[in-house]
Amino acid sequence: MDVKTALKATSLNKYFHDPVTFQVLKNITLEVKKGEFVSIVGKSGCGKSTLLYLLSTMDTDYEGAIEINETKVTGLSLNDLARIRNESIGFVFQFHYLLPDFSCLKNVMIPALKLGKLSYKEVEEKAYEKLKLFGVEEQALKRADRLSGGQQQRVAIARALINDPSIIMGDEPTGNLDSKNTQVVFEMFQKLSKEMGQTLITVTHDEDFARKSDRIIEMADGEILSHGK
Amino acid sequence: MKVSVNTEIAITYLSARKKQTLVAALGVTFGISMFIFMQSLMKGTNDYFEKSSFSTTPHIRLYNENKVADTHLMDNFFKDKSIKILENPKQIQENQGLTNPYGIINEIKKNPQVVAVTPQVTTNVLYNSGSVQISGSVAGVNIVQEDKMFDMQSNMVAGDFHDLDRVNNGLLIGKGIADKLSLHVGDNITVRAATGSAMIMRVIGIYATTIKQIDETKSYANITQAQNMLGKDRSYVTDIKINLKDYNNAPPVARELEILTGYKAEDWVQANEQIKAAFKIRAVILNSVIGVILLVAGFGIYNILNMTIYEKIKEIAILKATGFTGPSVVSIFLQQAIYIGLMGAVVGIVIGFSITLLASKIYIGAGTLKYLPMSFYIPHYVEAIFFGVITTVAAGFFPARKASKVDPVTIIRG
Repeated sequence: MDVKTALKATSLNKYFHDPVTFQVLKNITLEVKKGEFVSIVGKSGCGKSTLLYLLSTMDTDYEGAIEINETKVTGLSLNDLARIRNESIGFVFQFHYLLPDFSCLKNVMIPALKLGKLSYKEVEEKAYEKLKLFGVEEQALKRADRLSGGQQQRVAIARALINDPSIIMGDEPTGNLDSKNTQVVFEMFQKLSKEMGQTLITVTHDEDFARKSDRIIEMADGEILSHGK
Repeated sequence: MKVSVNTEIAITYLSARKKQTLVAALGVTFGISMFIFMQSLMKGTNDYFEKSSFSTTPHIRLYNENKVADTHLMDNFFKDKSIKILENPKQIQENQGLTNPYGIINEIKKNPQVVAVTPQVTTNVLYNSGSVQISGSVAGVNIVQEDKMFDMQSNMVAGDFHDLDRVNNGLLIGKGIADKLSLHVGDNITVRAATGSAMIMRVIGIYATTIKQIDETKSYANITQAQNMLGKDRSYVTDIKINLKDYNNAPPVARELEILTGYKAEDWVQANEQIKAAFKIRAVILNSVIGVILLVAGFGIYNILNMTIYEKIKEIAILKATGFTGPSVVSIFLQQAIYIGLMGAVVGIVIGFSITLLASKIYIGAGTLKYLPMSFYIPHYVEAIFFGVITTVAAGFFPARKASKVDPVTIIRG
């Protein structure tokens, strides 16, 4: 069966110029199929997070080409990229980065309101559903900064999923979660890739987490050592 | 009402920092209320001076101006194209009076702009009382018409100006003359014109304007009386004074009348150039003061938004990461500036109006000026909102643009 490519990177090179020019990524080529659950592992400083930010379209300072859902995104304007991120990419960071002045519900709703495809009411219902998935619907109307760290991270993941993005990227998404919550999140991710056909790319230090994913991409010194199976 | 997500975020940010929002809005409020107060004061003052200049000056004055001799007689005589040079030209001795003044008056009355026309005989005189002698001028007028044009009634200090028409040899004198010569209503005064003989006149009234120089020199007599004083006949008129429906039309109408009559028509703008100059200077002072106030208010907003952006830089980064475009971020922060501006402007208008109202009750009591002249002029309020919003948008734009340029990668990765 021919599975569609969700994300394809060709010959990525990336340099840091400060304080001295240093090549962080060396000729990286990789492809992720639709519905795949990929973990990128490697030592600190090997460039795995940097790679993720390139793939996420947030960092545009690189050489090479990136295609998302078979559309070339390299060279698009920042505003076009923002729209692509809004619609097709969900993010989970190591820290939750919720907006503290808003309720949890609002935090989850904002990307969907921005997308503007659903009515306010529909977005609200959908946001509740997502919060429920992670067991934080009780906290929906609390301000984001009143929650515990674990709860905040789960709200942040709910936010990443609100627009049903085709690709979900995580930079140490479970880094601040205890083992129980890590398990919840992992199962959720697995469900998303198996049942919803969403693609997951996570950078992680958690070997256990990585082992259970579909594929492990190993990186060292800015190069890919193995693309996994 | 559907509120856009940008607006929702902007409002949440504003209400999360109520104190700072309030301080920024107060800056605008202060600027706007000062703007309204100063504008009202200036317009009130200008209106007052304009009005007071019309208490002595007609919109247009038509008179016979002495001309310097030119070559047109020679041109007519020789009828060639040679250039004539008149060496050492002198003023032509002419009768000061206008020829056929009542014909001219009838002609002027046909102009639809004209609402009042009145003839006048002006002459320089010496006032004598006892051993004191002062110089001045007598205006021979139709006092009822004069009252219609210049509201003589409001300037009367003593006596009744109608007596000019009733009392033989009556004279209405300025307060300055009365003080200098120690005259009261009913006293006699000797008036000597440059031509003609001395006449003994009776003071029937005393007036005072706000212009000291006029009060010290000018007096009014019946026009017939003035003609008698000069030994002239009833058709002798030196000035024709004209008032228009709208005094702003005076300059063009004056030009028309010059062409129509051939005499010099001086409009009030020419006669009161110092007032115009004062208007302009006041406008400069006012605009610079208001400019500074609005600038300060603008800096307040700039400062607060800048601080917000420093505090919220991670949040801006995350908004951008989740798909907010640069223009969306600009919109979020610019909207905050606009709401601050609008809030400040609305309160500023209320306060500005109140200050204006209060100031209009301040007693001055100089001349005919009783209270501080304040005008309540709607366009000032519209302008105030306009300038308030412009200032806040300008002040908000730069921080907003800075926020839109936040690079999410640098911020999120730390």
